Amino acid sequence: MIRTLSLSLAVSVSLGALAAAAIDRTKKPDADPAPAASFPDYKTVTLPNGLKVFVIEDDRTPRITFRLLIKGGALHDGGKSSLSSFVAGLLNRGTQKRDAATFASESDYIGVRLEGMSGADAISVSAGGLTKYTDKILDLLVDATLHPIFPEEQFAKEQRKALSALEAEKQEPGKLGDKLQGKLVFGAHPYGAYRTPETVKAVTREDLVKYHQTWFAPNNATLAIVGDVKSADIVPLVEKAFAEWQKRDVPADPAPVTPKMEGLTVHLVDRPGSVQSNIQISFPGPARNNPDTAELNVVNATLGGGFSGRLFQNLREKNGWTYGAYSAFGMNRYGGEFSAGAETRNAVTAPAIKETLKEIGRLRDEPVPEEELTLQREYNVGNYLLSLESSARIAQRVQDIDLYGLPTDFYKTYASRMGSVTPAHAQELAKKYLTTENAVIVVVGEAKEIKPELEKIGKVQVYDQQLKPVAP
Amino acid sequence: MPNFMKSPLFLTLAVATLASPLLAETTPPPPRAVIKPIQYVEYDLPNGMHVILHQNKAVPVVSTYVLYKVGSKNERPDRTGFAHFFEHLMFEGSENIPRGKIDKFISGAGGNLNASTSFDQTDYFFNLPANQLKLALWIESERLMHSKIDETGVETQRQVVKEEKRRGVDNQPYGTLFQELAGLVFKGTPYEWVPIGSAQYIDQATIEEFRAFWKKYYLPNNATLAVAGDFEIETTKQLIADYFGPIPKGPEIERPKIEWNLDVPGAKKDVLKDNTPLPASLHAWRAPAETDPDAYPLELLGNILSSGRSSRLYKRLVEKEQAALEVEAFPYLLEKAGVLGVYAMGQQGVALDQLDKLITEEVEKVRAEGVTEEEYRKALNQKEAEFAGSFGSMNARAKNLARYHLFYGDANLINTELDRYFAVKREDLQRVAKKYLTAERTNILRFPVPAKDAAPAPKAN
Repeated sequence: MIRTLSLSLAVSVSLGALAAAAIDRTKKPDADPAPAASFPDYKTVTLPNGLKVFVIEDDRTPRITFRLLIKGGALHDGGKSSLSSFVAGLLNRGTQKRDAATFASESDYIGVRLEGMSGADAISVSAGGLTKYTDKILDLLVDATLHPIFPEEQFAKEQRKALSALEAEKQEPGKLGDKLQGKLVFGAHPYGAYRTPETVKAVTREDLVKYHQTWFAPNNATLAIVGDVKSADIVPLVEKAFAEWQKRDVPADPAPVTPKMEGLTVHLVDRPGSVQSNIQISFPGPARNNPDTAELNVVNATLGGGFSGRLFQNLREKNGWTYGAYSAFGMNRYGGEFSAGAETRNAVTAPAIKETLKEIGRLRDEPVPEEELTLQREYNVGNYLLSLESSARIAQRVQDIDLYGLPTDFYKTYASRMGSVTPAHAQELAKKYLTTENAVIVVVGEAKEIKPELEKIGKVQVYDQQLKPVAP
Repeated sequence: MPNFMKSPLFLTLAVATLASPLLAETTPPPPRAVIKPIQYVEYDLPNGMHVILHQNKAVPVVSTYVLYKVGSKNERPDRTGFAHFFEHLMFEGSENIPRGKIDKFISGAGGNLNASTSFDQTDYFFNLPANQLKLALWIESERLMHSKIDETGVETQRQVVKEEKRRGVDNQPYGTLFQELAGLVFKGTPYEWVPIGSAQYIDQATIEEFRAFWKKYYLPNNATLAVAGDFEIETTKQLIADYFGPIPKGPEIERPKIEWNLDVPGAKKDVLKDNTPLPASLHAWRAPAETDPDAYPLELLGNILSSGRSSRLYKRLVEKEQAALEVEAFPYLLEKAGVLGVYAMGQQGVALDQLDKLITEEVEKVRAEGVTEEEYRKALNQKEAEFAGSFGSMNARAKNLARYHLFYGDANLINTELDRYFAVKREDLQRVAKKYLTAERTNILRFPVPAKDAAPAPKAN
């Protein structure tokens, strides 16, 4: 039954004859001349209805992927923190042409997954499959994004699932920590809001319809197309498919967020039975269109960007306290956050926090030695080059330029900017964007074992697993 | 039905299909996409190391991938977790690489790295800008030739590995599911413990044991090296000969004997934990090894049961009955044994018996009635789409070339394995359902909700 097509691709070679030449094993071999990291060319076309289309041609696999990005996302939840994610999740659950079951069977039949997802600043709808199904994929995409009807019965099912999922999340240390951290950093702004049983129940079908009518406008969206297609062939198809989508005015975004944080406070979610503490140290950070993103990447990498970052080296390789320790800036359209964290056994929770703060402070107080900074520059530039292997990632970056209002040459200059950070500049950025004094320390863990030591770091507020503050 | 006629690719497809012997079947399978062949050369070094080279210059990057045929099934029952612990130690250094420098060299060269250990294998990879290939070959050959394991490294990684286990298993709700599953289904074989192993044995392992393990398994004749990306074939062959050629061949490796008997009655186990707020149930059956011809119909059956919202289990458990939050059928096939599992995470307030009943009914149904023509074609189409998207990156190409060579004896399966799926007939799906998913061989693993959390289901709106 099993047959192998003989394509005669494999060439077996006997290499017994190739003798080993003497090489110097005692030192690291020299590299060949470095290749340039050049951001690939792509086509940009703005359709008459205002929809901006980007095409990235990639013939490595016979696939095509569409990614439609609707600006807004959770930013426009308007106090109902589940709204945009319900909108995104229900796009493929019933349209004017197809009920939920028909939509599922038609897309599954051709191996296509079409899913909407809501993020802080946008809803993305992705659909990818074999190029031979291009017309069909496009038809499904247009149907889901232009003609969803948000059936009451499908919405009720999603609400019920959301409530069950929230029940499960009460026991997930990562989820508990992320939710509390976001709320503490962004306060009442939508960036910091998270789902609760109350917000899930507060959303109505009318809210979904209104959200869709308000924000799903072609002039409020971009479409990236990646795959084994020619721009000249696919753009007319897309224009025709989205021709009925009418340009219209969309409301202004809510006011930018400028969170402030005063002092160093500890926030402990008591999760009885925990054998590890989930630690995050956070404070507000810059928006995505800040002028320092490229250089700041190198600063962050030095602290906690990878295995050679200081947090990993200190907490894991020197002390054996954790499996991993990292840091990152999360940047949104109108504001961002910094977070450094690790998961450590209960007994070393407080020392791990102290060492993390120490490493953040050291970047502010001392210039990074040239040798270490060289490593981190190379790490960032090289890994950026490696990321260019992924056309999906390229498409996302092209859409990011539009979404976040970045300079059009942002990725053309990205590598050279990361590659030229000096110790003085790195220290200047550390002083500008890092703090050890105005931050929140969020810990999810076993309060009865770790609280006494945490109190020596700062004032501790305890929360239960529903993230409700517990009176001391 | 999809409309092939509309597709601009139709003509090309038709030609490709005609050229394929598959069309000679009485029931013609649907046409499959033309996936660009991945070309490579392969050979053995005199010391037995197998080498596979795939050149692709789309982006100036190179990925190296070294696959060792040693995993947790090679461990002693009183040293579980050993192979994985050892993998951590392979980042420590060598006689020529100071302790802790491996990542610094790779990161400083603009690359990234990682490694993993599973039941059957341990693998190590580097992804680098194309000008750094020599660095990768140097480090990988040092690991094989001059590994250096000292007490400091062992003590540190002992702590790190225990944190890794807490993070993935002990501190996660349902985190012990995989180890419970292995213990139940693979009982009596060296697959019955999982690669992360037991903290107790991690504490007991000594440095002499690690050195002996390295001597026994980290041999060129137990390794496959795959390199994919932007490099010159001839130069690279010479470099590989230079770096790996001087490593002496080791003795034949004694492999564990595994008798895999499918006909074993199923067992049941309830796992009581404080941190499982939703009910979960896993039904699992002994399944064949990955190279068994039945692997292909079983994989397709898995798709039909749970891939997408039109799949049987999703439609019944999630959509119609609203009993489950999520459901997944997963074949997990290994070198010498396999398991097919159906996992359902129940919604709040749903009884475990209800979940079990629904899973049982759907499995009985597929045994009794088989699958429809539409389901069969859908599963093939899904596999086709999956294969078309699977080998884009150089890392994925290196990894799969090595894996297909080591476990299937044919690296070219990266180009042809999809044909094996397309050779499966619709009747095969019912046949394997009847053969493997029998009622008496059903293992059931359940995570009940602890009493204090068992709240009634809330109403939405």
